[in-house]
Amino acid sequence: MSPTQDVVNRRSSYRTPSWVKIMGIIVLVLILLIGATHLAGSGHGPGSHLPSASVTEATSSSIEHGMHQP
Amino acid sequence: MTMSPAIRKFALTVHITSSVGWIGAVIAFLAIVIAAMSSQDTQTLRAAWYAMGLVGSFVIVPLAVASLFSGILMSLGTKWGLFQHYWVLISLILTLFATLILLGNIQTVNAFATIAAKMDDADVIMLRAGLEGELLHAGIGLVVVVVIQAMNVYKPRGLTAFGWRNQQKQTRLPQA
Repeated sequence: MSPTQDVVNRRSSYRTPSWVKIMGIIVLVLILLIGATHLAGSGHGPGSHLPSASVTEATSSSIEHGMHQP
Repeated sequence: MTMSPAIRKFALTVHITSSVGWIGAVIAFLAIVIAAMSSQDTQTLRAAWYAMGLVGSFVIVPLAVASLFSGILMSLGTKWGLFQHYWVLISLILTLFATLILLGNIQTVNAFATIAAKMDDADVIMLRAGLEGELLHAGIGLVVVVVIQAMNVYKPRGLTAFGWRNQQKQTRLPQA
């Protein structure tokens, strides 16, 4: 195969850029790390960092009416 | 669909302003979190949660949404397309991911802000528990939006499989 033919063949096949592969690996590692951290600790999601029920119950009515100025 | 130069410049102005503003607002949010973490004063803690609620709800969320939609508009209305180039596609995915996490987290921040406004001074100190979570969310959020910004500036080369197929079709068209 001539060098010119080789270049043509290489251009005719699709290849994912290397920076995308590297970024994908980094993101995957980060997701696994964050997932492992949350699995090791308590659950996660909106409201999961809120104080205990006794505190939130006392102010639950204010939450329903939105944010108030202190 | 290609935008006229006037509309393209307007959309670009909105996109740059909202994206850079988003980064600045997250840094301001982080400054409030760090100030609250390093203070033992209950009034500072109360005020910090209130400020985080305001900055989050009325600055960060609108800027994130504006950045997301102006980015989609820009990519659809220019030669880049939404799914043709990896840097555009990854920017879209990261922006969407950051916005969804933000919309979830802002509910927690507002709940804390509401509780902080009603709590007695003796109990406000309990609200320090939520600050680590906010530091983590805002810290990771800042990294993500800076990565998006860098990709938008450098525009690293690389067509997606969809973009590559489209390019192949276009190069074959003149020969047909």
